[in-house]
Amino acid sequence: MMSHSTNMLSHNNGSLNNRTAMNIEKQGYASTRFLMIMILMASTTLMTLLSGGFLQVSAMDTEIKAHLSEQDAGQPERIALTGATIYTMDPERGGEPIQNGTILIENGIITAMGEDVEIPEDTLVEDLNGQQIYPGLIDAFSRMGIFEIGAVPMSHDIDEQGDVNPNVKPERVVNPDSRHIPVARSAGVLTSVVTPDGGIIAGQPGAVRMDGWTWEQMTLQSGLGLLVNWPSPRRNYSEDVRELQNVFEDARAYHTAKKAFEAGQADRIDLDSRWEAMLPLFEGDGELPLIVDAQEVRQIQDAVTWASNEGFPIVIMGGRDAHMITGFLKEMEVPVIITQVLTSPSRNWEAYDARYSLPAKLYNGGVMFAIAGDASPENSNRLPYEAGASIAFGLPADEALKSLTIYPAQILGLDDRVGMLKEGMEATLMITDGSPVEYATRVHQTYIRGAKSDMMDNHRKLYERYRKKVDEWQSRKD
Amino acid sequence: MKISLLFSSLFQRLIPCLFSCQLPSQFSYQFPSHSQFSSRNRSLGIPSALFFALGLMVTLSSSYEAVAQTEPVNGMKVNTPSVVAFTNATIYLSPDEVVENGTLVIRNGKVEAAGANVAVPADARVMDMSGKTIYPGLIDPFTNVGMAKQEEETESGARSWNPHLRAQMSASEIYHTEDEGIEGLRKQGFTTVLTAPDMGIFRGQAAVTALKDGPVSSKVIRSDVAQSATLTTSWDFGFAYPTSAIGVIAFLRQTLYDADWYERAWEAYLEDPASVERPETNEALEALGSVVRGETPLIFETRSDEEIQRVFRLAEEFEIRPWVLGNGHEYKIADVLAGVGVGDGRSAVELILPVALPEDPDVDTPEDALNASLADLRHAYLAPGNAGVLEDAGVAFSFSSFGLEKPEQFWPSARRAVEKGVSREGALAAMTVRPAELLGISETHGTLDEGKTANFIIATGDLFEKETKLLDVWVEGERYHLESIPELDLSGSWSVTGSPTGEMAAGEMAVGEMTMSLSSASPGKYKGTVSAGGKEADLKTVAFDEVSRRFHATFQGDSLGFDGMVRWTASLTGETLRGWGEYPAQDRVEWSAERVEAGDADDAEDANDSEEAEDADTAEDADPSTRNKTKEPVTLANIRPAMEYGREEQPEQPKHLLIRNATIWTMGPQGVLENADLYIKDGKVEAVGQDLREPRGAVVIDAEGKHVTPGLIDAHLHSGVDAVNEFGNAIVPEVRMADVLNINNIWMYRQLAGGLTTAHVMHGSANPIGGQNVHIKMKWGALSDELVIEDAPGTVKFALGENPKRVGTDRYPDTRMGVEQIMADRFQMARDYRARWNEWERTGEGLPPRKDLRLEALEDILNGDLLVQSHSYRQDEILMLMRLAEANGFRVKAFHHGVEAFKVAPELAEHGAGAVVWTDWSSFKIEAFDATVYNARLLHEAGVLTSLHSDNSQIASRMNWEAAKMVRAGMTPVEALSLITSTTAKLLGVDHRVGSLEKGKDGDFVIWSGDPLSTATKAEQTWIEGRRYFDLEEDALRRDAVDKERDLLIQHFLGDK
Repeated sequence: MMSHSTNMLSHNNGSLNNRTAMNIEKQGYASTRFLMIMILMASTTLMTLLSGGFLQVSAMDTEIKAHLSEQDAGQPERIALTGATIYTMDPERGGEPIQNGTILIENGIITAMGEDVEIPEDTLVEDLNGQQIYPGLIDAFSRMGIFEIGAVPMSHDIDEQGDVNPNVKPERVVNPDSRHIPVARSAGVLTSVVTPDGGIIAGQPGAVRMDGWTWEQMTLQSGLGLLVNWPSPRRNYSEDVRELQNVFEDARAYHTAKKAFEAGQADRIDLDSRWEAMLPLFEGDGELPLIVDAQEVRQIQDAVTWASNEGFPIVIMGGRDAHMITGFLKEMEVPVIITQVLTSPSRNWEAYDARYSLPAKLYNGGVMFAIAGDASPENSNRLPYEAGASIAFGLPADEALKSLTIYPAQILGLDDRVGMLKEGMEATLMITDGSPVEYATRVHQTYIRGAKSDMMDNHRKLYERYRKKVDEWQSRKD
Repeated sequence: MKISLLFSSLFQRLIPCLFSCQLPSQFSYQFPSHSQFSSRNRSLGIPSALFFALGLMVTLSSSYEAVAQTEPVNGMKVNTPSVVAFTNATIYLSPDEVVENGTLVIRNGKVEAAGANVAVPADARVMDMSGKTIYPGLIDPFTNVGMAKQEEETESGARSWNPHLRAQMSASEIYHTEDEGIEGLRKQGFTTVLTAPDMGIFRGQAAVTALKDGPVSSKVIRSDVAQSATLTTSWDFGFAYPTSAIGVIAFLRQTLYDADWYERAWEAYLEDPASVERPETNEALEALGSVVRGETPLIFETRSDEEIQRVFRLAEEFEIRPWVLGNGHEYKIADVLAGVGVGDGRSAVELILPVALPEDPDVDTPEDALNASLADLRHAYLAPGNAGVLEDAGVAFSFSSFGLEKPEQFWPSARRAVEKGVSREGALAAMTVRPAELLGISETHGTLDEGKTANFIIATGDLFEKETKLLDVWVEGERYHLESIPELDLSGSWSVTGSPTGEMAAGEMAVGEMTMSLSSASPGKYKGTVSAGGKEADLKTVAFDEVSRRFHATFQGDSLGFDGMVRWTASLTGETLRGWGEYPAQDRVEWSAERVEAGDADDAEDANDSEEAEDADTAEDADPSTRNKTKEPVTLANIRPAMEYGREEQPEQPKHLLIRNATIWTMGPQGVLENADLYIKDGKVEAVGQDLREPRGAVVIDAEGKHVTPGLIDAHLHSGVDAVNEFGNAIVPEVRMADVLNINNIWMYRQLAGGLTTAHVMHGSANPIGGQNVHIKMKWGALSDELVIEDAPGTVKFALGENPKRVGTDRYPDTRMGVEQIMADRFQMARDYRARWNEWERTGEGLPPRKDLRLEALEDILNGDLLVQSHSYRQDEILMLMRLAEANGFRVKAFHHGVEAFKVAPELAEHGAGAVVWTDWSSFKIEAFDATVYNARLLHEAGVLTSLHSDNSQIASRMNWEAAKMVRAGMTPVEALSLITSTTAKLLGVDHRVGSLEKGKDGDFVIWSGDPLSTATKAEQTWIEGRRYFDLEEDALRRDAVDKERDLLIQHFLGDK
């Protein structure tokens, strides 16, 4: 009772506290799990009977992709951005930006880029006059569009019932009119990895473009991986790890049974939506990596060891203590999505800058990493600063930029479309007067898959509206 | 159930008989005593009274009691003499007066004589104490003995309205003998304790009691010796005010004023009952009368070094006589304790020191060790030395068992304190004469001088030696036997001869000549062998009971020619065992044995060693604090705060300090100066400019390429305090954040590292009118009192919107409407209050008004002496409060958070209110949905004094980056920096001291690696009043020091040196 009220009133971190409270509430799941499974079994059996097969999940994905390949109506087919200093973030290109460069965009895709680009006729040309172009930033840990107001639980779509939800896909419930999307865009955050939370397997994060009429248009990539919450060492660690492993063993058993059925070695198989969603894990093609939320040394190491024994590709998310085991992470080739740099260490004895300097330590240790924030969509505009802080504490400035662009794209398998500027990539970029991670920099314009964004966001809208009130008042005063 | 009912009714009926109808005593030194029986009784679930009543219990008779008691004799009058002489003892008459080979004579529960040349009275029973040591009985000046059954009842009697105010409770009245907990303490040698109720905040009157069995009437020595209180929130009564550390202190203050008022009010009424309104009858306030007059001491239970200092502050304010019940952290403030004076005569503080020790931290695996803080590691290591540090610092104290998980931990802990530095004399004094003085019973207790109460311990040796055992504790001449050490030792070689009895045929068995060898591993425990004809058998069992002098042994006789188990029993007379036995096949034999050789030194010693080691192991298991006993000592610096990154001393303040060649953001009329110098003299800014003359002996810092700004200021912070919200009432301006500052706060160091030098530490937002805030400087290493900016104006927290209306209890208000109304209502109350005072002061007639700290704080608000700093979100509530303030004739100094402040920027400007806002917090709740990062900019453009704030400990450690966000929102860099320096200082009323680098202001500044508003910049040095409190280079050294100390301590606790 007491701690609840205290939480309610510690307004400064209201949203965080609410999430914490919510996670705590979800711990009662195990008890309802059996009942839930029974219901699931009953309903899926019925579905199997009705549809005469197992389903449709993957078919639906194909449909979505078909939609996405169409260009939005009303968008000029060809745009050329000229006279720009272009920071490509292309690892093959090296550090120097393209001076006085041009980017040619056709149907949303970059078709040419460089100092001497021939601009075809019927091209809308925008001379940027020395302004800078960067690829759009990727928020690799986000709840954009699925979480609107912290203290209003009905505006949250993050945490599904039950501990095992590999089948849930957050990009399909993104509200394209979330107020936070234009604010993020204004900070150059143009791709968000929308991530569910809770339980053992929270669901499948999906990459979403920060512009579009519908979630279908906005979806860049569905099913980036399985979000797994590694157990806390402060509870019944061993038991909890065993429970987690059992989930994957059950899924593997389903895969085996299904294979047998397909090979005509079994009479039937009844659909289990959860295990169905996990099938790619056992195909060994690395299509569905585990994105494992792990902070402490033992969590990280135990998760990586287990995943490598099982043959699952793994990405560590969080990684607070990752700097203590950079050798291990490098050797195992495990990338880390650092969540939150702009924060302080959890232990009093750690240096005040322990979190600010974490990216530099991973960089120096040769560990692949991306930087993300704390997943609060209302604060996505702070993402650039999360990486910026690491510059003051030892990370080279261009690495800080890569940690928001090409690195998350590579880690999550999006680097064929976003994360750098290159022919064939989606034209998802921003025009600025400086580095996107520097405070004084302003983002003047963004393009998302070639579409010029509306730069009006709610912050600016409110400013302009009430600036009028101030102006009227001041003119009355004078 | 039925049985226990029966017993309890028996108990009721038989108890009168206990102390007047004891059976004639068969006194003997070995006779079982009270404690042995009563513990056995308890384990059987049988009330000890039954045993008393059935005559199974016999104590040394105490016929003198009859003289002192009112109870009629029932049955035969007991007149067993009560004169005992203890001879040949080592006697500690007092901690520093030891008599060897002395005699102690007690009569009628008092010491008749004690000393070296004391004659044994002719009528005395004599007890030879050769080899024994006698100590005065121990006195524990703080326990909760007998307080297990306190009533929570708040509806009966003329009580206070507030359930936490239970000053009228009296330990001697509510003492209950069930589960009273005296036996455990007595086993440690305690004979007298102070016992205090422990429920509520003002908990009631403590009593001095004797740790003897029997009715409460026979135990209580003195009632109402002291009043007991706590500084910590009590949850015994739910959400009743106060609910927080701030509220508790405000409540203590108000209650002390009330107690004073109560007396005067009744006086006024009794003088003129016809016209003066009758005051309420409040027994709690009545009980506190003697406390506020400084007659009855007020004991404060404390839980931290900070809480102890809070007691001192209260004692500055009130004429109280505080006793401090400590907490083990006193060594951290030994300098404070040594220097402090309390009360009119500035007498030294009365300190009661619990000997309880913290548990060792868990460092078994590297992962566990990662989570062990240096503060905890240090405390676990240093706490045993607490008393020694205080003794060295000249701080007097008494010891208490308070806080021990089990009483048996008392001696291990006390011995640890001696091992870690406190003298034996000091320790013994802290258990005897010191507490006797404190409790005002030194005339009768604390030593074994003539005339003192016959309270003493009989021990096998020095109490501070681990192997010493307590044999007897005597309380008021009554003996409580704890343990017998066998005096007879049967070790040695015995020559056994025997002959058969009855029909056994001679020659069938080899009774003839045998040898039995006995060795004793520890007193009273034997093992041995029997041999005959070159063959030997181990004794399977062997036992000797000293009281009955009965010997038993068995052995497997096959190898000696007996066909089975041989069983012997015998009685000891002198050096002869006269025995009888059964041999296999029911053969019986009479035997006797003469000791031919005494002792078996080698054997016994070996056995002794192993046994000792075993004992030690078990003792250490029982008491985790002694586990690390044998490990390597670690030398730790004396740092403040006693945690990570603490300092050994305050940084120096150079007379002259010159910062050269920097880009200086003065944030004053001089603007930003390139390649400029900053001259600080005696901690104040003396000059800023180019090419300043270098004063002789100046400390010069070349800051070429660096930027210098004033120290940053956070207008809204909640770190470094033990409480933030007082929920217990909607209107609580009487609570003060300054009361609960806590320097043991790592955030302060982190904030310094980010260039923060000043913070406005605020009450929370649970109340429409919250508590008084405090302005502090980040003087890492100073005491909490030293953090406070003394000449800062008072400010008070208000809160509007969602928070104050959703506390979750049935507290008013539930709506924004109610927020407005309760504020208006209270302001009117404050005016009425002043009117009443004025009237009374003018006429002197009627009931004297009660001093009401809450209403006086509200008056201060109305008078502009407390500046209103109001939590707010929506524009409607901001406007409401401005209009309410205007209607009440005051102005709101600033609206904090003010997420929608931009919507009423013109109204704010006209009212004269400032705005203290976030950069970009948004949407964490409904009322924060219309947030805009342009808030500060638009307010600033409208002419509203505007500042940023963190409201968050972490963000407070990087406020420069918060300001930098406003550059992206369109403000100039200087405007942006003003939001965390110059304007902030104005809104907090401290711009005469801080916020800009102008002549005469405090030398608070930051040296930055570059542009302070760049993401690539960090603070390199942070100075406060010309002292360097943070420095990157020093930080690097400190990190090493932290690592080293942690490593040393972890190694120590692992015992792996």
